[in-house]
Amino acid sequence: MTDAVMIPRRAGHALRWTGAALVAASLILAVVGPLAVPGDPLAQSLTKALSGPEPAAPLGYDHLGRSIFHRLAAALRLSPAIAIAAVLTAGLAGLVLGTWAAARGGWTDRILTMLADALLALPGLLLVLMVLAIVPGTAPGFWAGLSLVLWVEFFRLTRAATRAVLASPAVQATRLLGFGPVYVFRTHIWPEIAPMMLTAAAFGTATAIMAIAALGFVHVGMRAPTPELGLMMVELLPYWREAPLALLSPVMATFALLLGLTLLAGSRDT
Amino acid sequence: MTLLKADDITVAQGGTPILHPVSLHLEPGEPLVILGETGSGKSLLAQAIMGTLPRDLAARGRVVLGDHLLDAARPEGFRPLWGRQIAVLPQEPWLSLDPLMRAGRQVTEAHHLVRGLGTQDARAQAATDLDRLGLAHADTRYPHELSGGMAQRVAIAAARAGGAGIVIADEPTKGLDAARRDEVADLLLAELARGGGLLVITHDLALARRIGGRMIVLRAGRVVETGPTAAVMAVPTQAYTRDLIAADPENWPARSRRPAGAPVLTATRLAAGRGGVRLFSDLSFDLSAGRILGVTGPSGCGKSTLGDVVLGLAPPAAGRVNRSAGLAPTAFQKLYQDPVAAFPRHRTLGRTLADVAHRHGQPRDRIDTLLPRLGLNPVLLTRTPGGVSGGELQRLALLRLLLVRPRFIFADEPTSRLDPITQKQVIDLLRDTAAAEGCAIMLVSHDPELVARTADHVLSLAPAKTGGDLSGQAVKRAGGLG
Repeated sequence: MTDAVMIPRRAGHALRWTGAALVAASLILAVVGPLAVPGDPLAQSLTKALSGPEPAAPLGYDHLGRSIFHRLAAALRLSPAIAIAAVLTAGLAGLVLGTWAAARGGWTDRILTMLADALLALPGLLLVLMVLAIVPGTAPGFWAGLSLVLWVEFFRLTRAATRAVLASPAVQATRLLGFGPVYVFRTHIWPEIAPMMLTAAAFGTATAIMAIAALGFVHVGMRAPTPELGLMMVELLPYWREAPLALLSPVMATFALLLGLTLLAGSRDT
Repeated sequence: MTLLKADDITVAQGGTPILHPVSLHLEPGEPLVILGETGSGKSLLAQAIMGTLPRDLAARGRVVLGDHLLDAARPEGFRPLWGRQIAVLPQEPWLSLDPLMRAGRQVTEAHHLVRGLGTQDARAQAATDLDRLGLAHADTRYPHELSGGMAQRVAIAAARAGGAGIVIADEPTKGLDAARRDEVADLLLAELARGGGLLVITHDLALARRIGGRMIVLRAGRVVETGPTAAVMAVPTQAYTRDLIAADPENWPARSRRPAGAPVLTATRLAAGRGGVRLFSDLSFDLSAGRILGVTGPSGCGKSTLGDVVLGLAPPAAGRVNRSAGLAPTAFQKLYQDPVAAFPRHRTLGRTLADVAHRHGQPRDRIDTLLPRLGLNPVLLTRTPGGVSGGELQRLALLRLLLVRPRFIFADEPTSRLDPITQKQVIDLLRDTAAAEGCAIMLVSHDPELVARTADHVLSLAPAKTGGDLSGQAVKRAGGLG
């Protein structure tokens, strides 16, 4: 990459810190929030339905009288947890398969690439839906489906970068000097792909959270009463006039989390 | 009448001078050679005279070009003169010609757009130019259909079409073999004979000698010596110039032959090809410890492929390579043309070397004893490959090989990217290695002088033949081998 198309270093740093701060804020809300203001995300009290903020429920109540604050905190734990689990699985699978395909070449490479291309041809959300229908339990279903969608990107990145690295004189020299594949991976391949993998992981997490929210929003993802970002939005949508803050809370939280992850990924100067 | 006169040209970067005052003048019919190593500021000088310096560099000084008086600090004043008064000969003509335009059109375009001739006149003039350069048949060819020499001539015709009297050639022989180098020099001199001025910037002593005229030797942004080229080359007055000229392979003392040690490898009737083209066949030789086998030949003749076959990195198409019994798998090593590309990019050199020492059970202090022997400063070990000069890195690469205690080293153009003085240091170290470590070395170079003065035996590979002639003797053997 040339300097001309790179985000200048200083601006890149500022963006990255903004991204990190947004992600950190969401996670602090999710983890520390319920400790600071104890409450149950599922407890209903219909008399308080759609009423405004109060000390026990800093963001007010939804249409069934549940504390939005506690539902949001729970939702912000659930989606990132599934997303991170899926990204870790997909990243590991992509890394292993990509390195393997690049190192072996031939039929191994051709079959894996064909598989990845075939998966790429299917819409990601459709694939997740199909897996959700097969796998019992919604959270494991999301994890399996998202892993299946996300590994392709890690695989393609790893394979392309590793092929170039393996063909370089540096690797040839290392092999001539008597080092094995583990050393080659550690000193040549990993330092080259690690920054790319971290970027792809941040994007992948954002994609996964987005997918969970999108399917929740159209009622085919997480089931009520589980607090989930997309589900909360669609549940509160009819009451936007009476309780705008109730609807805005999950929208803003999702926006902040996704923006944070995207800034974190996009500003990495590699 | 002086064609070009430059007074007290300086170049500075952010207030730090990187070129100290240089004055020069260019007379018709007398070429001027600016000689210097990489980083000596020779290209900056040319760019300051042409007004093409990068933005962050500031030039000062006065340039008189014909009847134009120009200020080097204001490069925009030079622009109208490009192509009309000053022409620049590109370094690599293949890259500067338009790959989608026929040769004749490229020259016609320059006549039409720069010189302002009508379409018909431009066409006719271009045809005359190409004919004069012996390229009448190349008129309708695309650049990829031209040989390197032909492309260079088309580039010259296009560069001079604007009527420029002064030709500036910046490293015109970069990466060329000896025959092509002389061809380019003759071409430049032929252009000069038609009138006008010629300024050649180079680090190549052979080119400087052939061009002749007057010479300015630059080092670290300062003029070291000036004078007629022949006189400077024959009797240099400054120590640096003497070192530079002594470092020219033509002036190296010939190597005294050493007794051969135990045999290391035997190659029998080797043949190999690349992309369906047979590069060499029926190649047999053997190599003993302490001996240096030089390999020369034009680019693309299969020198590197031969190395891959001998090292076991590529299978031969026919024949076989036998290593002597009892050699470790890592006894055959390779020294690369571009040392930066041969080291892990993100690791400090010290860690890389320590890993190699550890892998081969060498004590840590072997690195410390080898460093002074190769003239290296231990500070370098804390840096990554990108932060070390090419010459130092090539010596570190040699050090890395010595940790393995190799019996055979394939050195693939190890000095082609180095300056003459550094080149001599590295080659001397290779010779010492062969003697001290009892190592057999295969030294590849496009410079026949270097090989002739370094190697015990020379293997000259002929240019690769395209087509079906596979049985023909593609290899000429020189000297008794082994």
